[in-house]
Amino acid sequence: MTTIQPPRFAVLQLSGCAGCEVSLLNAGEWIDRFDLAFMPLVTSAYDVPEVDILLISGGVRSDEDLHNLRQAVKRAKKIVAVGTCAISGGVTNLGNRDEVRQLFLSQSERHNLPRMLPKSQPVDVFVDVDLYLPGCPPTPELFMAALLEPPDFKASANVCQECGRQKLMDVKPTHLVGMAGGQVAPDICLINQGYLCVGSSTRGGCRALCTRPGHPCVGCRGPSNALIEKDSSTWLESIQRVFKSMTNIPPEELREALLSPQMALFLFQFSDYAGGDRPARSKDKVL
Amino acid sequence: MTTLTFPLSRIEGHARVEIEVQDGRVISTRFQAMEKRGFNLMVTGVPADQMPVIVPRICGVCSTAHHVASVKALENAYGIQPPPLANQIRELLLLGQLIQNQATSLFIFTMPDRLGVESLFHVDAEEAKKETQFDIARRALMVRQLGTDLITLAGGQFIHPVKAVVGGVSSGIDPGRAAAFQQRLQAALPTACELVDYYWEISTRMKDRIGTWGDDQPAYYIASTERDDPRYNSSIIRVMTPAGECCREFTADTFREELIFEDTDYSYAGRTSYQGGVIRANSLARANMTRRMGIRRADAYMRRLRSEFGHPAHPILLFDLCRGIELVYAIELASQLLEEDFTKGEVDMPYNPRDGEGWGLVEAPRGPLIHHYVIEKGKIAMGEFIIPTVHNMLAIERALRVAAERYITTDSVNLELEKAVGRVVRAFDPCIACATH
Repeated sequence: MTTIQPPRFAVLQLSGCAGCEVSLLNAGEWIDRFDLAFMPLVTSAYDVPEVDILLISGGVRSDEDLHNLRQAVKRAKKIVAVGTCAISGGVTNLGNRDEVRQLFLSQSERHNLPRMLPKSQPVDVFVDVDLYLPGCPPTPELFMAALLEPPDFKASANVCQECGRQKLMDVKPTHLVGMAGGQVAPDICLINQGYLCVGSSTRGGCRALCTRPGHPCVGCRGPSNALIEKDSSTWLESIQRVFKSMTNIPPEELREALLSPQMALFLFQFSDYAGGDRPARSKDKVL
Repeated sequence: MTTLTFPLSRIEGHARVEIEVQDGRVISTRFQAMEKRGFNLMVTGVPADQMPVIVPRICGVCSTAHHVASVKALENAYGIQPPPLANQIRELLLLGQLIQNQATSLFIFTMPDRLGVESLFHVDAEEAKKETQFDIARRALMVRQLGTDLITLAGGQFIHPVKAVVGGVSSGIDPGRAAAFQQRLQAALPTACELVDYYWEISTRMKDRIGTWGDDQPAYYIASTERDDPRYNSSIIRVMTPAGECCREFTADTFREELIFEDTDYSYAGRTSYQGGVIRANSLARANMTRRMGIRRADAYMRRLRSEFGHPAHPILLFDLCRGIELVYAIELASQLLEEDFTKGEVDMPYNPRDGEGWGLVEAPRGPLIHHYVIEKGKIAMGEFIIPTVHNMLAIERALRVAAERYITTDSVNLELEKAVGRVVRAFDPCIACATH
């Protein structure tokens, strides 16, 4: 009697927060369908073995990250970049600002430890990626979709489609109310309430898990397919158009808020990358 | 001189242990944190009101503690107090984090040491063994997921929560969802207790095999949970002396007068002492400094701990057993709290942001966590993060020395040392992403 070997997968964690791994542990169904061969958070294995699927989380921050990344991809048939840090640098990119890099450089060197690279980089700067799974972190449902790639899986076009809050055309706020705070009215669109919500241009698939309880979308899933292959100015204009039609917020106030660090963590990084000297990531490769 | 290097797995983040040996004598034991992102530098210039969304990304395991500490630091700077309902929802959030973390540490990080396997998800060749192990794994993941689902219920997003906002929380909890989740907690409680009982049993067996619960000298203990009511949305830090005297108390804004911080040149994490003395934070510290858990099943486990090990107790593998007690406590208490109506009363209060300085304290699973911000022109001029794992660094290295001296002689190094290194480090459940931030 022969038994069919379940597909093997590995999880390589570079510099990140382990939130992606914690999310993956919530997607418990893989226990029965996959053989987890390597994931230092939960297994005592020190090298990536030959696997069918390699999930990579975290950004490339140190020389050790880069070494581990290059070694690991040689042993995998399919490479999946998981989470914002691996795809576009994520929160660590706040450290790429020049003034912060100078502070970094002024910190004394440590002996016998991985050296910090000049800045944090996404993994596809160094290796080819077959599939991108954005989100900070991606939900368990999206992890299962990345592992199984069911042919009928299709994420919603944007977060608005999953949110269910009602857009009112006759309620037009004149100023932003801040990122959060204040009592949020249930069932009514957060933009109508003056929140800086970018769900209208953020790719869906997360089930709107922030906006439904009342926190504006910060765009952690990256741009929707309509915007993903374009540069960040297109994305910016798209959000500005939404606010122009739904609010009376002065354009300058909106622009300043959109360029703030919290927003820069997610959407801008993703599309600036595409608008730089590298080709845009094809939407067909993004889950 | 010989240097033995032990890479570490089944902990959060990248770290290793180096032990220097000369002629059978242990020269040093070092715990090296090997990653750094530099959050204290990165947050400089960030608009203050964005901190509660940015800082959970310090760590995906401890994100909830950072989220709440951040909001509390801003409230402290603005001179406001959230309404009671918001505090209850934040407590639920922290209980969700406690369930998630303690279940992960117990079942995924340390149970394999007791079962003699590489991983809870290890595929064993023997069909019978495999089924038993998968059965444990499924139940462990089910219990663990209660934690992230409670974070979702009370915090919106499941890893990096969003619902705690300056002044309160952004919304209450729908009664229907609360009731449904309370039933799940009730249904899962017996399973959690079975798993904890089993964990206690296999831990005792491991102790019989290796001959120790991890003896080490007493240390200072530090926690911010209160004596009769271990709330995690805490307000005061307490220190117990190695002699078991309780307790010196201080508030977060005076931490520098009590704790001494230093950097090392061999790790990206610093270390803390209490006036030069070794500190222990985390589950055992709380257990030693708490009179009772105040809830039925958890108190039964607490009495068992006291009768088996006395009070205060010091062996390091008791950190793991205490996590089991806290897992049961968190499920039991969350279930009790969810009987309240989380829609009645104000969820937040109005406030005016202002420049100044603020400190936010919570009891994270690994001990007291402090966020300290200086705000100028609405932006963070200085941000620092006082991390519980850093308080445990000296204690980890001292416990590693005890283990190394046990297994290293002039003639040989006992191969059990590698396992002992893993057991010692995991007992403290260090979080490297947090420690280095």
